[in-house]
Amino acid sequence: MTTRMNRRGFLATTGAAAGALSFLGPKALHAQDGGTLRFGLSTYPPSLDAWASNGTAAGTIKLMIHRGLLGYGPDGTMRGELAESWEVDDEGAWVFTLRDATWHDGTPVTSEDIAWNVLEAQKPDSAAYLQGQLAAITSVETPDEKTVRMVTDEPLAVLPGWFAHFNMPMIKKGEARDTTMGSGPFLYDSADRGVSISLSAWDGYYKDEMPKVSNIEAIVYADENLRVAALEAGDVDLVEYVPWQAMDQIEANDELALQATDGPFMYLTFNASRPPFDNPKVRQAVAHAIKREDIAAAAFYGRGGALEHLPIAEGSEFYNPELANSWNYDPEKAQALLAEAGYPDGFDCVMLSTAQYGMHQSTAEVCQAYLSMIGINVQLDLPEWSTRVKKGNEGTYDLAVMGTAAMNNDPDGLATVVDGSLSPSFVRSFGMETPEISELFARGRATFDTEERKAIYKELEEIAIDTVPVVGLSWRSQGYGMRANAEGFTVMPGQLVFYSGMTLEETVLG
Amino acid sequence: MLRYIATRSLVALFLVWIVVSVVFLLLHLIPGDPAELLLSQGNVAADPQAVAALREQMGLNAPLWQQYIDHMTGVLTGDLGASFRDGAPVIEQIALRLPRTLEVILAASLIATGIGVPLGTYAAIRADGKADAVISFFASASLSTPVFVVGSVVILIFAQKLQWLPAGGFTPFSEDPLEHLQLLLLPACTVALSLLAVITRMSRASVLEVLQRDYVRTARAKGLPRNPILRRHVVRNALIPVLTVLGLEMGTLIGGTVLVEFVFNWPGLSGYLVAAVDARDYPEVVGIVMTISVLFVFLNLVVDVVNALLDPRISLVR
Repeated sequence: MTTRMNRRGFLATTGAAAGALSFLGPKALHAQDGGTLRFGLSTYPPSLDAWASNGTAAGTIKLMIHRGLLGYGPDGTMRGELAESWEVDDEGAWVFTLRDATWHDGTPVTSEDIAWNVLEAQKPDSAAYLQGQLAAITSVETPDEKTVRMVTDEPLAVLPGWFAHFNMPMIKKGEARDTTMGSGPFLYDSADRGVSISLSAWDGYYKDEMPKVSNIEAIVYADENLRVAALEAGDVDLVEYVPWQAMDQIEANDELALQATDGPFMYLTFNASRPPFDNPKVRQAVAHAIKREDIAAAAFYGRGGALEHLPIAEGSEFYNPELANSWNYDPEKAQALLAEAGYPDGFDCVMLSTAQYGMHQSTAEVCQAYLSMIGINVQLDLPEWSTRVKKGNEGTYDLAVMGTAAMNNDPDGLATVVDGSLSPSFVRSFGMETPEISELFARGRATFDTEERKAIYKELEEIAIDTVPVVGLSWRSQGYGMRANAEGFTVMPGQLVFYSGMTLEETVLG
Repeated sequence: MLRYIATRSLVALFLVWIVVSVVFLLLHLIPGDPAELLLSQGNVAADPQAVAALREQMGLNAPLWQQYIDHMTGVLTGDLGASFRDGAPVIEQIALRLPRTLEVILAASLIATGIGVPLGTYAAIRADGKADAVISFFASASLSTPVFVVGSVVILIFAQKLQWLPAGGFTPFSEDPLEHLQLLLLPACTVALSLLAVITRMSRASVLEVLQRDYVRTARAKGLPRNPILRRHVVRNALIPVLTVLGLEMGTLIGGTVLVEFVFNWPGLSGYLVAAVDARDYPEVVGIVMTISVLFVFLNLVVDVVNALLDPRISLVR
């Protein structure tokens, strides 16, 4: 074969192709107008329904647009937002006094607006996240434009917490539930569904000199590695859900900062409607059989802590140090408990988790390994998330790995995880009756004295340690990464971590 | 010819109908309840009453055949329904996202043919030489490297280390053409890499074969210089099988760019489909699958017709 294309000809052809790519060059710096904060979201909000639980990404966007009656400061203390003050009157009703605030259309926020929100969200078919709780409010009175009085059958200490939740913001009377017109620091300008949401500062916000940035561009980066890459490359200023494996790398980078808190937690739920996990002794055995440090190491790259009791954080005033290690790793005790329950040689069972999220799968694998050491032969069931939710709701499992965060730092927020009187759900054990615990939760809600409440929740935790409605496994670190010039954004402590979007009003770009 | 196209189109329509029906039924068979999922976002317990209310609202309480007929009636009138999640019309979302996926595929095809055909030709001319070995090695290597590996590596190099290009994302062309092209470059190159391998190997084999033909020998015997022979006689004839392969590969890519879209945060159709399946958003899933199958069947038809036009020996009419 002597037919040849000469080298020059070849180079000319490929060179022409490469020339077409000439726009590749040093990356043009993004316009630094000093005012646009670019926020890397983990997922696009499935909806912006104000009162529904639509995930934490939606929660963050809602905290930009909306405000509720109450909220939390950067240190996690409850503070007034649309309400200036709130107190219980002589008859045990909660009275909220509104401040001078306006909706984004310039009309004032009135007590009538607030009452409408409560009445709409408490309707049985409202699908509001707090519908069940709000149903306890028997009437809402509006004696004047600035006063809202909420009456309940019995006084409820935890009611303010509901109105501080990011899934209970206030919207103008008569607006659609997924309205983007609120009373919060940012105006919703436009959205490219699935891609990004653009917001701009609202100059009529009720807090002076806030918000500090003039625009927010919330951009979705579903892939966690890309989210970190975008932060490192300077494409975004702030990202949520920093993957644990990238936390070291962000901390080591001088241009970046990491803020994290141990908030969400992993735990085991049981199917108590059938043997063997209907037996509390067996559940106790499970609680003592698993070495928690290995879960934190395997699932969270060491970015988490052992959880050997109910998920009440160490910093909480309801934390009971003497109960903190009640479910400690003690394989001999676990073995003895199993024998006592009538299973000296162990048994076979199915553990439900999901392969969709690495942390759920790794947690399940560590549990499987430890349970096998006391003779419990676990078969893992790892469907994708939607199926896992379905199976959890229907109780088609023996035990299951679950992860969530409580509603807020009040121990009442744990009811959703351990109160067996609530409807069946994948976040709780299936068919688990907890009459004493349910009763204590009710008492805790109705008690205003902090010391008295502490005693109630201590008793509740003691009963839970004994009856094991769920088994705590591990705290997990929830982190936000930011560029060094993004200041003022604060990650709120513990269970309030997903309320951190509230501090975007204070965030400045240096 | 026209009759052939008409018959093939009818068969294509029938195929699309089968695909859509199977997808519709399968979706209802697999576990997972869209209402429940929507209300338990953020791993919270959904209220059963709220779930029931939402199911009713979504029309999921009607018998399956009723839902099927309703959906099909909608499809026939051009209405693909609205997303379960936020009520966005499915057809609008597809119209928004399909061009983005097609853009990546088209850009990747241009890059892959622009480089792959000369590279394959060069390798064929130097068959069994060093250059051929090097080119074949790289073609095999890039063919066997998964796109998510290539994608992650190019992000590491060009976005994180060199900081030449953004790590990923999307800006509409109308808003900022330059940034749009910058963002398109990495995903397009990533898709192009494996396509490039296919095209290079195909071109090499095809050119090699044409080089053995009598008419090439005759042209050389006539004393024609090398380059005109290559351009006019060899490459042009060698392109037919390359184009067929390219057409089929492009068809496969329409639903298959999901990993690239995910890695680069490119909001195209494939990523949209995965998100819709995750949320069990039935109207979205059915709409997207229908669009992809229509395109795929249509592309196959086009490839057949183009081949017939290029080569009169291929007869379409039996």
